[in-house]
Amino acid sequence: MKRNDFILGSFFSLLILVFIGYFMFAVINENSDSGLTLKENTENLSDRVSLHYALKNVHEAETALNERGAEYLLNRETAEQSGAEYGSKNSESGAANLVTSIVTDYRGFDTLGEVTVLFISIIGVAILLFSMNGPMLTEPSLVVKTGNTYLLPIIMLVGAYVFVHGHLTPGGGFPGGTIIATGFLLMLLGMNAGKTGSKLLKVIESLAGLCFIGTGFAGFIIKGSFLQNFLPQGSIGSLFSAGFIMLIYIFIGIKVAAELSGGVLNIYTGGDDD
Amino acid sequence: MTILIMFLFLFAVIIIAALYAVFTKDLLFAVVALGVVSLAASILFFVMNAPDVAITEAAVGAAVTTAIYVFAVRRTHREEEK
Repeated sequence: MKRNDFILGSFFSLLILVFIGYFMFAVINENSDSGLTLKENTENLSDRVSLHYALKNVHEAETALNERGAEYLLNRETAEQSGAEYGSKNSESGAANLVTSIVTDYRGFDTLGEVTVLFISIIGVAILLFSMNGPMLTEPSLVVKTGNTYLLPIIMLVGAYVFVHGHLTPGGGFPGGTIIATGFLLMLLGMNAGKTGSKLLKVIESLAGLCFIGTGFAGFIIKGSFLQNFLPQGSIGSLFSAGFIMLIYIFIGIKVAAELSGGVLNIYTGGDDD
Repeated sequence: MTILIMFLFLFAVIIIAALYAVFTKDLLFAVVALGVVSLAASILFFVMNAPDVAITEAAVGAAVTTAIYVFAVRRTHREEEK
């Protein structure tokens, strides 16, 4: 490695460390005014969406279903007591999926840490196992080839659906990206596409990570806190709702898909074969 | 009652597959048994109303981890040494 590259890399690493340290310190020192936005003009705790979600546990839903039948859950007036209503506006988070709103909105900084952990571990795999002349791949059989042709678009589409609809249906960036990586694994086994695109995968992954951090900085500039939701909430249940959760999950999904695909590619082809 | 029977069946599948993965000599069969454990666990999560965890467990545990273990077994010996 050249000395200039080393100095440049150290400089950027120090810069990133200083930024992360500043934000952690700022979160510690922060008044609750500029932190997470709760719903405006809400003194009453029972008006918050998160409380309705928190009351909706498994046991309660099951007993309600056993005692009063399925109409209880479909009834509008009683649905207001047990959970958020489809199409309601001015909610606190706006996501129909509680897990997603917590993972990307309430604790988005932790999610940034998780993504960083995955990034570093995949970099470690690439350092250990990267090689351009790995072992020859075996020729796939007819069953694998044909199944690959018909199954691959469906798997990719399901993965993209899972992370684009992360704020509406179960799932999100991490499982969606993993499903896409599974499709890439099938492509690796069935199309004999071993040596393609390792560097391209790294570029995609880094760009998606930069977009994630850029979204965080946009929240910092517009609303005053890092990774704060700065887009309108919309109505619960529509595709363009819940602010930037869909944006963040698209970035995370692309990033996780590229990372795991690169890791699987390195493990499959890399290393010395003896 | 049906849910209880389903739970017991899934528990039995998980325990038997995990014990088989520990005690078998063939590492490839052990990897497949671990995949069966993850699949049964994801069905269990789905029955217990945690679909997010179920999707993640099915994608990570049953698919990607199994594939990585199979690649690792392919690089080393398939039989466990005495």
